Amino acid sequence: MLTKRRSGDASRSKLSVVAAGLASAAIDRRTFLRRSGLAVGGLAAVGSISLGSVRKAQAAGEGLTPSMGKEVRRNICTHCSVGCTVTAEVVNGVWVGQEPSWESPINRGTHCAKGAAIRELVHGDRRLKYPLKMVGGQWQRISWEQAYDEITKKLLEIREKNGADSVYWLGSAKFTNEAAYLFRKLGAFWGTNSVDHQARICHSTTVAGVANTWGYGAQTNSYNDIRNAKTMVIIGGNPAEAHPVSMQHVLSGKEINRAKVFVVDPRFTRTAAHATEYVRLRPGTDIPLIWGMLYHIFQNGWEDKDFIAKRVHGMDQIRKEVEKWDPKTVEDVTGVPGDQVRRMAEAFAKEKPATLIWCMGSTQHTVGTANVRANCVLLLATGNVGAPGTGANIFRGHTNVQGATDLGLDISTLPLYYGLVEAAWKHWARVWEVEYDWLVSRFDDIPAKGGRPARPAKTNMETPGITSTRWFDATLLPDEQIDQRSPIKAMMVFGHGGNTVTRIPDAKKGMELLDLLVVADPHPTTFAALPERKENTYLLPIATSLEMDGSRTASNRSIQWGEKIVEPIFEAKDDYEVMYNFAQKLGFADRMFKNIKIEKGIPLAEDILREINRGGWSTGYCGQSPERLKAHMKNQRKFDLVTLRAPKDDPEVGGDHYGLPWPCWGKPEIRHPGTPILYNTNLHVKDGGGTFRARFGVERNGETLLAEDSFSLGSELTDGYPEFTLGVLKKLGWDKDLTPDELAVITRVGGNAPDAVSWTTDLSGGIQRVCLDHGVAPYGNAKARAVAWNLPDPVPVHREPIYTARQDLVAKYPTRPDERQFRMPNIGFSVQKAAVDKNMAKDFPIILTSGRLVEYEGGGEETRSNRWLAELQQDMFVEVNTRDAAARGIKDGQFVWVLGPESSSKARMKALVTDRVAPGVAFMPFHFSGWFEGVDLRKRYPSGTDPIVLGESANSVTTYGFDPVTGMQETKCTLCQIRAA
Amino acid sequence: MLFRSMNARAALAALAMTLGLGLAAPAHAQHGQDPKPAVQTTNPSARNPTADSVTEDALLRQLQGGSHIGGRISIPDYKASILEQPQGRDYRQFREGYLPWIGGIAVLGMILALAAFFFTKGRIRLEHSEESGRKILRFNAFERFTHWLTAMCFIVLAISGLNYIFGKRLLLPLIGADAFSAWAQYAKFAHNYLSWPFMIGLVVMILVWIRDNIPDRTDINWIKQGGGLVGKGGHPPARRFNAGQKMVYWSVALGGLALAASGLVMLFPFSAADINGMQLAQYVHATVGVLLIAVMIAHIYIGSLGMEGAYDAMGSGEVDLAWAKTHHSLWVEEQQAKTASGPQIGRGGKSPAPAE
Amino acid sequence: MARMKFLCDADRCIECNACVTACKNEHDVPWGINRRRVVTLNDGKPGERSVSMACMHCTDAPCAAVCPTSCFYNTADGVVLHSKDLCIGCGYCFYACPFGAPQYPRVGNFGTRGKMDKCTYCSGGPEADLTTAEYVKYGSNRLAEGKLPLCAELCSTKALLAGDGEIIARIYKERVLTRGYGSGAWGWKTAYRETVAL
Repeated sequence: MLTKRRSGDASRSKLSVVAAGLASAAIDRRTFLRRSGLAVGGLAAVGSISLGSVRKAQAAGEGLTPSMGKEVRRNICTHCSVGCTVTAEVVNGVWVGQEPSWESPINRGTHCAKGAAIRELVHGDRRLKYPLKMVGGQWQRISWEQAYDEITKKLLEIREKNGADSVYWLGSAKFTNEAAYLFRKLGAFWGTNSVDHQARICHSTTVAGVANTWGYGAQTNSYNDIRNAKTMVIIGGNPAEAHPVSMQHVLSGKEINRAKVFVVDPRFTRTAAHATEYVRLRPGTDIPLIWGMLYHIFQNGWEDKDFIAKRVHGMDQIRKEVEKWDPKTVEDVTGVPGDQVRRMAEAFAKEKPATLIWCMGSTQHTVGTANVRANCVLLLATGNVGAPGTGANIFRGHTNVQGATDLGLDISTLPLYYGLVEAAWKHWARVWEVEYDWLVSRFDDIPAKGGRPARPAKTNMETPGITSTRWFDATLLPDEQIDQRSPIKAMMVFGHGGNTVTRIPDAKKGMELLDLLVVADPHPTTFAALPERKENTYLLPIATSLEMDGSRTASNRSIQWGEKIVEPIFEAKDDYEVMYNFAQKLGFADRMFKNIKIEKGIPLAEDILREINRGGWSTGYCGQSPERLKAHMKNQRKFDLVTLRAPKDDPEVGGDHYGLPWPCWGKPEIRHPGTPILYNTNLHVKDGGGTFRARFGVERNGETLLAEDSFSLGSELTDGYPEFTLGVLKKLGWDKDLTPDELAVITRVGGNAPDAVSWTTDLSGGIQRVCLDHGVAPYGNAKARAVAWNLPDPVPVHREPIYTARQDLVAKYPTRPDERQFRMPNIGFSVQKAAVDKNMAKDFPIILTSGRLVEYEGGGEETRSNRWLAELQQDMFVEVNTRDAAARGIKDGQFVWVLGPESSSKARMKALVTDRVAPGVAFMPFHFSGWFEGVDLRKRYPSGTDPIVLGESANSVTTYGFDPVTGMQETKCTLCQIRAA
Repeated sequence: MLFRSMNARAALAALAMTLGLGLAAPAHAQHGQDPKPAVQTTNPSARNPTADSVTEDALLRQLQGGSHIGGRISIPDYKASILEQPQGRDYRQFREGYLPWIGGIAVLGMILALAAFFFTKGRIRLEHSEESGRKILRFNAFERFTHWLTAMCFIVLAISGLNYIFGKRLLLPLIGADAFSAWAQYAKFAHNYLSWPFMIGLVVMILVWIRDNIPDRTDINWIKQGGGLVGKGGHPPARRFNAGQKMVYWSVALGGLALAASGLVMLFPFSAADINGMQLAQYVHATVGVLLIAVMIAHIYIGSLGMEGAYDAMGSGEVDLAWAKTHHSLWVEEQQAKTASGPQIGRGGKSPAPAE
Repeated sequence: MARMKFLCDADRCIECNACVTACKNEHDVPWGINRRRVVTLNDGKPGERSVSMACMHCTDAPCAAVCPTSCFYNTADGVVLHSKDLCIGCGYCFYACPFGAPQYPRVGNFGTRGKMDKCTYCSGGPEADLTTAEYVKYGSNRLAEGKLPLCAELCSTKALLAGDGEIIARIYKERVLTRGYGSGAWGWKTAYRETVAL
């Protein structure tokens, strides 16, 4: 159906409609919306006029040019974390065109397919147009007021009966920072820690692994800084499809420095096609490969001994593990030839600066956190951290997944990584100006069950919630196995596709068991179409983030302010307004919006950011006031392409780094320039320099954890030092530098123990200000940890995937034992054992991995509804190696069944026969949804909102397996069988 | 040489098409296949993809004239996967370089030749004998209907077809771009839609007359005697169709089939052929078209102005027995033997009025 | 006057399709019409390269030569444009075009394809510049506004270059000299009867 051309008459053309409107009479927004569905125009119409002259038909349209009366507005593309500026031309409230954003130092005018088509995301006629409710299995239009009333009434009923924890709040990486923060706050005020978002399924393991190594869980350098690298290793990442604009910097670096680019991936990706060497590994063997590289590095003494001595803790324990990974073993496990590993190791250690770029190929594993830690260890061993051209360049997935992570849209922390401890809650209670005891009272008391002791509300409040990867297990498992008052009964899903988590057959059952399902999204998602529900299901039309003011944090920690391009179309409302209305109906809006101005019923984004600034000391989210961010957007052209810095003498943004990449210390008034490269000792902290964070104490087993003989430029302390508190300032005699006002605030915060008030809880910012004046980092100066003793595998070790094609290796490299994590049991070990015992690899001989397509993003609802993108990928497919296809009689383009080893799962899609994947490996894109077990579910979408392209979800056949640290799912490595359909 | 610009494969295929075999199969077989990769091994691991990069020069060198540089594209449109087909330039050379000459020479040449013949030898007169005035039925109503259906279509197709080649050269300067485009648009529709009755008529004609057009010994004699037009040997004997008419028949049959086959390929673009196949269809269609037009001009001439009494065969269907005996002696004998007092032979002057 | 050309640096092109959707966005091109497209050669094999292709605005353009209604014309910038008023949708330009540029609203239906549509180098058509009539038939006219085609302007890796032939050839040449490799100025030999000497 889709291969056919649109008939001319059915087509429409918005800009031409606007243009025609301008010519004949003024067109306003309403007229535009009305006409956009009906009008015939544009090239399509021309095509349909077959006889004679087209001129006659168009004579009426002669007149003004569409370029008149244009306003230019800027926002940030929502489709990945690069942070491309979108420049929109708006006429009479209608977004009529896009122009290159030449001034942005990040994208320099460019876009990928999604960014270049983003106008259609806003105008798409397949968006949800008004609130809908399911009545007897049919979608019915309702008013917003009715939706608010019914949903909150039901929520309060469920809360009464099953407790606050039985409602799951699933947020979005497409939220602005302000909305993410507000959503986390909403969860806290509701009284649960089960507040999560997409970071869980993309880089939660990165955040955990990286933060546990050197302090902060984020990309250390920036996309632009990759231009400085002489060696790049891209492992488990395909930026050519996932982050195309980043490739501008990667390829420029490659060309200018004649840099070596190694691409490590099971698939010969579009990125690999531009590598100088392609390294194909068996999925799930990242650690053996990294250890294999370190084997050569240590054997040949290529490690950076000076760097290790001064700035790294525990490298000797790593050496012991690495010794096991001689070239022969590495080749056996990973499939990568020894000389290739050596070549890559030598380049990485010797042709410096070298950077390691990774993405979900590293993170989405049962060993995701360990993978990431191994990556960090490689960087530390070769001294490739904290300088231009080096670092962990972690490419994140959505516009604001970094920001949403930072702002605590996470089950294990409050905003800005304060954690869930009492001090954290008290800090935020002070920022929010609400009583701590009231917050405690919002949480459930957990009764004793399953042999576990009871847990009072205060403890429950300090216990991480349930991960979004397993929310449905919390509906399906027996009550006594779930460590909270009751299983999950309601899902509040904001901006989150349901098809991005593994084990869809189970997720579907979970969706069907819910007492309440609310989907607040621009599009109906998998949540709306997949489950066979009859009642208690609501769809709320939400504005895209292009129809919202607010800030977004790109992967490189730069924060960019996006302005609302157009008013939300149809009856859509933005996240702020919807959350405000829920809070009102739930009875805590006054508390929640105490310091946030409400304008025309909508909370003011600027005020939310100011509140974040007031509490965001721990991560340096304190200096990025809305005024400063707006000045950056206005002065984009002044920032340098490579250093991202503006000239010092500029009146508005002088000396700032673009987007004030966090940490941006102190209050906005002290004008810290932001930190473009983390842990860079070559710069003064006032210029964005820094050290490794002293987060894990000062000493362990008699060894110091503080840096030795290493400090940032201009530091008055010329050795390691712990993080700063008032007490430490006093010891140094620096407390005298605090102003009386600052001291008063510190005293108020500290109560009877003011010396314990630290740089993270000092609401005056005085401690940070004084630190900067003395050239020291507020968070201390420590060694990075090669060994993270608080993690399940302090030294990363190889563990075979749960479903592995190499069953012979399971005995030697088993997955971790079963244990309880995040309120539920994780039985990975039992599943792995059963798979080996049943010899699953015989019936399911092909390794299945998954990944991204350039045209689509995430669950894909938005992008599959975008006609310009949908035309480019019209079918779900599986890449099958030529040899495997021949053995199964499968021809390119024909339909096949992909069978999974769990739940008798099966999925029908087209085969793409290619040598891009190795024999025995298959690949699927994960953006599709709307088919289930070969059945097209198009009819289940509310009429007119079905995405143009539907297809079987890759996750229909993915399987069990969760990272012990973050609950990350295993999407990159399972088994399947493929046969012709 | 007509096919100079094309390679041998293309010329062979053109021949195949001329013979009505069509090109569908070989062209279709190319779908979904990449051109030969520059690097034969398919495992990219441990290689330097930058150094291995395909280059345009290498791919162009690999092309052997008739093929194209193609790859993979996610849009489900095979045409879109062809990156470059440099032989588009050859197509242009044929259409703008050779075709106007071929067409011009064939059509004008034929008209000039006929004019010369007419002015030197004049009209071929009906030779009177005692049979004059008696009529014999040569073509029944169905045959005549089929003939005229096909003929009318052919004339429109020929004019609209020639318009594709000569319209912009001859007509456009006279009537201007807008009027010419409108005309050309109607001509295109006429060409596309009248092709169907033409093809039906063609097939029927072929079936109805094939029995009488199988060459036999009498044709050799007829040809030797030049059809009686040259020399003074009188008219050589002939069956229902003499060798000259048989040549017209076979020209129409084979030429028509070639036009129909290549035309069908063009009526359903890219469903049976890829870009090279489409070009080939054009080569065949245009070349056969102009040649057949030339033949038909001769046919029209001989059936009307050129020969007295010939028109009646397709007009009223009945011809003068004298004319018949002169030109188709064997056929008249056959007919008379079959039905000695049959209804075909009427009395003088009582011919049924022709339809027109 | 400049001689406008396109040059796709395949060693930069990552098949991100930004050029394709940029074109759709700028001109509101309907489903099924692909004024620009990206083709990947040797897909999945060593040596894989993607090339973005549209009308190359050839020197002595074959499409213009074969058009039975002579509906093509050249602008002063060397851009090859056509008049949809004069086009009769015969399809000959597609057979002649070495790059598959001409597009038609329909296929089949006895060859009644509708008016041909193709890349205009973002410079509209024969109507007066920047009029609604021009936009509706041909899309926007960026050249008249002093801008280059949006496909090249938005190219994620700056692989697709648009502008005066000499200038973009120089940029490409400099790149190749800096990095030491280059798979060629794709289509230049066929389109312009010249290539970028390296």
